[in-house]
Amino acid sequence: MSAKKTTHFGFKEVDKDAKAGMVADVFHSVASRYDLMNDLMSAGIHRVWKRFTIELSGVRKGNSVLDIAGGTGDLAAKFSRIVGPEGRVVLADINQSMLEVGRDKLLDTGHQGNIEFVQADAQFLPFPDDSFDCITIAFGLRNVTEKETALRSMLRVLKPGGRLLVLEFSKPQSELLSKAYDTYSFRILPLMGKLVANDAESYQYLAESIRVHPDQDTLKEMMQDAGFNRVEFHNMTGGIVALHRGIKA
Amino acid sequence: MSSDINPTLHTAGLAAAEAALNRALELAPAGSRALAKLEDSVFALHCTAPELDIFLQPAGDGIRLMGLYEGPVTTSIKGRASDFAELAAASDPAATLINGHLELHGDSASLIELQGILSNLNVDWEAPLVDALGDVAGHQLAEILRRTFSWGKQASAGLSRQLEEFIHEEARLTPPKLELEDFYQDVHELEMRVERLESRTVRLRKRLQEQASKV
Repeated sequence: MSAKKTTHFGFKEVDKDAKAGMVADVFHSVASRYDLMNDLMSAGIHRVWKRFTIELSGVRKGNSVLDIAGGTGDLAAKFSRIVGPEGRVVLADINQSMLEVGRDKLLDTGHQGNIEFVQADAQFLPFPDDSFDCITIAFGLRNVTEKETALRSMLRVLKPGGRLLVLEFSKPQSELLSKAYDTYSFRILPLMGKLVANDAESYQYLAESIRVHPDQDTLKEMMQDAGFNRVEFHNMTGGIVALHRGIKA
Repeated sequence: MSSDINPTLHTAGLAAAEAALNRALELAPAGSRALAKLEDSVFALHCTAPELDIFLQPAGDGIRLMGLYEGPVTTSIKGRASDFAELAAASDPAATLINGHLELHGDSASLIELQGILSNLNVDWEAPLVDALGDVAGHQLAEILRRTFSWGKQASAGLSRQLEEFIHEEARLTPPKLELEDFYQDVHELEMRVERLESRTVRLRKRLQEQASKV
């Protein structure tokens, strides 16, 4: 157990026990307009990032897949089609509002039979050891209070040879892009949040949480420290987003 | 995926191509049914110029295009974009694979079947046109498109046939296919006879050497 009693919540330093509740409030607030805001904020590119994640996941027919912080179910819907009726997809999210939106969306679009919905904390996954062929967490790890605990929990429930894919905002690779991205994140993003979701604060948190999230190399080291093998990452859109992959030996 | 290509651009390009291909397949149900037979096959297309890797997987609900695939593939082909274009447009894909510059590994029959299905897609444009323009205008425009495509296909086939006849029969620039196959058959037979003659000569020489050594 870490001795540190505080953690980041955006740029603020908050009590560890309080972070989960504060993150929950953010996502309760944005859940109903989450997909619309994602499309607006990324100009639809988040779909391309997620598509690349699916390609790198190597998921096949009959596999079992856990999508942590699965939110509105973009990845789970695609995995459900790939694994087929003999496979299994678990859409997990700590936030009840996000899980409800995701569950309704998937059921309304005919995705059922091989999907389960579980409200779970990434740090304490309620599954037996060696349960999944693949775990994905897209834009969720930075909201987790203790990332190291979550990574170890994911390693535990992965089958040997299974893959963890972490899709997350990261550090832009060029100075120019970094400056443009800062302007966009701290000026335009909260404004869009205010106009579309009537919630500037949540989107201010989003921008801040991205800046305090570990960069590409740090996250790679964290995955290695947690016990993952052959850890690699792919930068996308100039490093604004990075996809890390690690294998359980 | 080629390491030189930005994964975002590559993935976006494949997503757009996949959406267009699957939309066309939705409008060509016979093609979709035929593709279902190839489900679970994976075709790896390694393009060397421009450098690009595409993995194509027929699925129950269309075709998946991927930039990365780490499992076993059914067929792998390597060549330049122009070689792939030649194969896609070929009326005899087997001959193109044998005589062309594509390097092939794995099952060629599945690849030939896939090429046949995709090049013979009979897309029915009427449904989306009727949805967009209404019954009367949509039907009329679809009819015009159908006639235009049909005329284009016939004209192209006619032109190709006439050109072939001119090259083979009138100008005698190249021999006709049957004549060429006959010639190859003769060459093959001659090759066999020469081989037989060679082995007889070897045997005869050996016998003569044996007799000479006895004397």
